[in-house]
Amino acid sequence: MIVCVAVVGHQNNPLYIQSFTEADDALKLHHIVHCSLDVIDERVNNPKKSGPTLNETFLGLLYPTENYKVYGYLTNTKVKFIVVTTDLDVRDADVRNFFRKFHVAYVDAVSNPFHVPGKKITSRTFAERVSTIVKSFGLSSAG
Amino acid sequence: MGREVSESCVDSLLTEMVSSYCDRFYANKPELAARRIEAIGFQVGHQLSERYTMERPRFSDNLEAIKFICKDFWSELFKKQIDNLKTNHKGTFVLQDNRFRWLARMSIDPSSEDGDLSQDNSAPVTENKAAQATSMHLYFPCGIIRGALSNLGIPCAVSADISSLPACELLVMECIRLYLLSYAHCIAFISTARYSFFSQSRSSCMIIVIFHPCISERALRFR
Repeated sequence: MIVCVAVVGHQNNPLYIQSFTEADDALKLHHIVHCSLDVIDERVNNPKKSGPTLNETFLGLLYPTENYKVYGYLTNTKVKFIVVTTDLDVRDADVRNFFRKFHVAYVDAVSNPFHVPGKKITSRTFAERVSTIVKSFGLSSAG
Repeated sequence: MGREVSESCVDSLLTEMVSSYCDRFYANKPELAARRIEAIGFQVGHQLSERYTMERPRFSDNLEAIKFICKDFWSELFKKQIDNLKTNHKGTFVLQDNRFRWLARMSIDPSSEDGDLSQDNSAPVTENKAAQATSMHLYFPCGIIRGALSNLGIPCAVSADISSLPACELLVMECIRLYLLSYAHCIAFISTARYSFFSQSRSSCMIIVIFHPCISERALRFR
């Protein structure tokens, strides 16, 4: 189950953070997201493998904490998507799928002419689409 | 997203935008109108680059990003690729389009306004008027390219030049430099104002003179 998604801009400024748990640990999730930014920087600046996976957008599992797994995705425009999930047996393909749908929703939100680049995304449509994608992530990996 | 708009609507919108900014909003200040149009193009380019880089892996260097602009980005916008790309390998690129779609339906009224021009002078004069009239229409695509490249992490300055009517050349200069374009109407573009005039190190054309009478100190601190 996904507990938190975040969009971080290219200057590491938060553009959208949303947690999907009823518990009150939003701050802890924000902290996890913040720490994962360092991991992303390190992955991008010191690529471990060369070849076809060098410039991929999907960065994979960033780091596992005791209860959570954090996945990252870096777009061409240096915008980072971070997903924190509590599932222990998440498949790579599911997360990639999730990020693809999330990227589409993000592009649509940013194409809004009233959206100021660099500021937070305030679109309700984007928030609804994201919660739909998050809910369908849980269903597809359970099935 | 599947919605479509007819191309004539886009052409009309662009023509109307240029004419409103030049004739109504900033009637006697063409450089301000140019800057506003270029800023609109910047925002559009910013958002379009998000959309068109969606499925692609990341670019490893600037040349790949420029090639993306020349091939995929240009095909999405204009249904064709750039015809010729030249570079001096020092951060300057020249993109040449032999039939720029947004200029394809433009023509210049061949009768000149001054009735007393002799026949010998008419050819260069009409070319001059052509360049003036159509140069305003090129600020928007310059802004689009600048917005797209800056979203990909390459701050730059883009300027355009028309040699013969539907062909145009776009000059992309990576940031930090103040350049003089060697044409009759000289326009200096500045991309970042953080560096002083005399901090050029790599470039061989360290030119500081500005010919255009309308560029003021305020314009030099633009962006």
